[in-house]
Amino acid sequence: MLTSVFIAAVSLALFWMAAFTLWWQMHAWRTPEVLASTRFSSPDGDEHVSFSLLLPARHEQAVLDHTIQRLLESSHTDFEIIVIVGHDDPETTAVAEQAAARDPRVRVVVDTHEKKNKPKAMNTALPHCRGDVVGVFDAEDQVHPELLAHVDHAFRTTGADVVQGGVQLINFHSSWYSLRNCLEYFFWFRSRLHLHAQKGFIPLGGNTVFVRTDVLREAEGWDPNCLAEDCDLGVRLSSVGKKVVVAYDSDMVTREETPGSLMSLLKQRTRWNQGFLQVYRKKDWKQLPTLGQRLLARYTLMTPFMQAFTGLIIPLNVAIALFLDVPVGVAFITFLPAVTALVTFVFEIVGLHDFGKQYGLRVRFAHYLKLVVGGPFYQVLLAGAAVRAVWREQRGRNDWELTTHVGAHLGETTVTRQDVPVTREDVPA
Amino acid sequence: MTSTLPAVTTAKVPAQRRPVPGTGAHRRAEPPKRLRSSRPDLLLCGVLLVAILVVQGWNIADYPALSDDEGTYLAQAWSVQQGNGLAHYTYWYDHPPLGWIQIAVLTWIPALISPESMTVGTMRAAMLVISGISAVLVYVLGRRLALPRWAAALGMVFFGLSPLSVVLQREIFLDNLAVMWTLLAFTLAASPSRHLWHHFGAGMAAATAVLTKETMLIVLPALFLTMWRHSHKDTRKFALTGAVTACALIGFAYPLFALLKGELLPGAGHVSLWDGVKYQMTRPGSGFILDQGSGSWGVLQSWLYYDKILPLGGLAGALLLLVTWRWSVTARALAGPALAVAIFDALALRPNGYLPAMYVIQALPFLALVLAGGTASVAHAVLSRWRSEAEKRYVSAGRYALAAALALAAGAYVVPHWYDGARTAVTTDANAPYKAASQWLATEVENPERTRVLVDDALWLDLVHQGYRPGLGVIWFYKADLDPAVTKTMPRGWKDLDYVVASPTVRRDAADLPNVKAAMEHSAPVATFGTGEDRIEIRQIQTSAGGAR
Repeated sequence: MLTSVFIAAVSLALFWMAAFTLWWQMHAWRTPEVLASTRFSSPDGDEHVSFSLLLPARHEQAVLDHTIQRLLESSHTDFEIIVIVGHDDPETTAVAEQAAARDPRVRVVVDTHEKKNKPKAMNTALPHCRGDVVGVFDAEDQVHPELLAHVDHAFRTTGADVVQGGVQLINFHSSWYSLRNCLEYFFWFRSRLHLHAQKGFIPLGGNTVFVRTDVLREAEGWDPNCLAEDCDLGVRLSSVGKKVVVAYDSDMVTREETPGSLMSLLKQRTRWNQGFLQVYRKKDWKQLPTLGQRLLARYTLMTPFMQAFTGLIIPLNVAIALFLDVPVGVAFITFLPAVTALVTFVFEIVGLHDFGKQYGLRVRFAHYLKLVVGGPFYQVLLAGAAVRAVWREQRGRNDWELTTHVGAHLGETTVTRQDVPVTREDVPA
Repeated sequence: MTSTLPAVTTAKVPAQRRPVPGTGAHRRAEPPKRLRSSRPDLLLCGVLLVAILVVQGWNIADYPALSDDEGTYLAQAWSVQQGNGLAHYTYWYDHPPLGWIQIAVLTWIPALISPESMTVGTMRAAMLVISGISAVLVYVLGRRLALPRWAAALGMVFFGLSPLSVVLQREIFLDNLAVMWTLLAFTLAASPSRHLWHHFGAGMAAATAVLTKETMLIVLPALFLTMWRHSHKDTRKFALTGAVTACALIGFAYPLFALLKGELLPGAGHVSLWDGVKYQMTRPGSGFILDQGSGSWGVLQSWLYYDKILPLGGLAGALLLLVTWRWSVTARALAGPALAVAIFDALALRPNGYLPAMYVIQALPFLALVLAGGTASVAHAVLSRWRSEAEKRYVSAGRYALAAALALAAGAYVVPHWYDGARTAVTTDANAPYKAASQWLATEVENPERTRVLVDDALWLDLVHQGYRPGLGVIWFYKADLDPAVTKTMPRGWKDLDYVVASPTVRRDAADLPNVKAAMEHSAPVATFGTGEDRIEIRQIQTSAGGAR
């Protein structure tokens, strides 16, 4: 009897969690009107906002030049690119200096921190920014030339303090996990983030994010001790009522690539999870005005851990229902989380189809198969990252585990960074 | 303050209502966005609802005659209420149980207040709730399918007041519940906001309908078509997949239930879903529906006896809509219901299919909608087609005269028929023999708790309330032959019984049931109520010595 009640309670809790997550994940497709509203509105040709684009680069000499060249192709007329390099990284510095010599819009800022990370680098550059708006990109990003014009328009027409553009992993064909990784981005930037913007609580993304320079300075830039400084900035800004606008256009997204190996994906995910934990514990979200917003914040920041928990419980539940002697009614309830998981699965398949359509990519049957078969394994990976994050946070290890990039998303002009030192992947002791 | 594009500087940011790129392929007449706040719609629908409830509710217990099936489902609902499982005899997967579980919920409170009220006649009142909801849904669906107000109202009238509807919707049939869920599914599928979760809900409602009465499976293609037409191309794949997934997952609950009980596949010593399905799929056919003298022909005649207008008019309406598909906006808007009617007709026209008497119930709302749609189409053709600004006055006058003449002719044909039907429904007492038999068994039998009596399902609950032992004391007559758990308690066959209540159903089916037949042959009437074919005899078993057991 006690077992039955316990199992039923756990199952129902899991069911509601999964149902909410699903509900939010599908936000953009609720109605055709909502879907239409997630896009950038077309720019009117006017330009009033000037941009300072931050480009932190670390051992990224192979891709950096390409990224700068593409950024310089932007149709917008008023922007500067600030490449931030480390004082211990002469190769990248050389590439950046060359670019600066070629084009006056490019400047180089050297970060001299002993222990380096992305927020410190960006804080170093913040005083040098001359534009009205600070934009952040990563060294391997492929940025659409029209993006700045659209962002300019969005700032002017909405009175936003922050504009978050779409980021999309593209190389879904690289491996089974990159397929799922791409799809995660798709659902997050295409759909879920818009819900967060609407609800007034938003963890920002790491790049293609634009903040008014004065707002950013007022907030004292990024938190150098947080492993998810992007998420943290979003939470801090939205918690004090700054207006965040999200827009996603498949032809305007910043294209990126998935981590090059399973291990680096695990490390990246661990870092994010740990960052989310840190943001949760910083309690900035408690300033949010309504209970609903605070609940959403609490839930969103804890999601990785609940996800891990769900992944472990669902198979256990089904096994209990099938093999233990519980009443039929209770057995039914134990299936509820599995049902939501199945619905999520189906929507992921449709999402993959839509992803292929949006980006003109050919998704083959094998990819759908990989998506389905890979699901449980990816769940294990997520669970592992969640456990690892808690472990590291408990032990007080909050250094950066960086991610390597092989340039798989650059297509024809592939630049492979085999020259990246392996140590970069390593976790400092 | 955060929001999606473009900015709205109010405190709470509503979801954006940016105009959506048109679908292009099929432009449909814009249905009203908010029926709830449209006064004329509410008023019209409310008045019709009252009329329907009065005609259906008045005299509901006494007309039509109690049906065996009603007794079956209500008794099983009673069993659910008593906590005795899905049936008081072994549940053998004849139908999915969701239907009578709903009846159990629906009658829960009245049965708590007054346990004796749990009899077929009394509890027919619960069906009024279902009929009322269904009728309103027909109206809403009609409006959502772009019918003008008057045509949607006409559809509601057809659905609720056709004498055929009045007779069938009064009865405690699973089909009536399934119709309600199906209508809900269609209404959600045609949701003007095209909300993903409305379509998801449509899938869930459809699955509920199928689990209420499995034959609803056949309208799913029509539902899918409706959903396809009413979704937007940008969100369609999510909406439709969501609906199909929801429907399938809930539908799978039934086999899962059987699996959890260890009764999915056949095996020694237990019933199984497999056998239940096999039984339903291999029921002997009742002949070709247009073959005079076949069983199906008889069933068709029994429908047409009550009303010809809705079944035949609906069929004509469906044909009209299918033929005018290319020119008529109404025809395209009503594609879903028209397809449903087409499917129902196609299945009824199988050369030797099994055609149950309740079959038409599931088609009623679709017949009503396509008949209303056909009428709207004709009205539009007469009044507005090829009409220009410069049309001569006498031509316009001619149009109105023609429309009035058609309306008058139709009214002159329909109203008297339906008036007669309604009058019969509210005045006839068809169940006096049943009531008298029940009364006799309550007062004239000395020891009800030790008396064993075969009855048909309709009378069973009455006797339970009068102190007979449910299941083995008062016995569904066919269980005496078909349920091993019952025959086991009758080692001496008919000699272990005391009475047989020979209603028309019992007399009809006794031919194929040896134990019941023997009991009939070895018994003599001690009381007879009614006359002729419909009479009910209470027959006491005679032992060889010539006296009662």
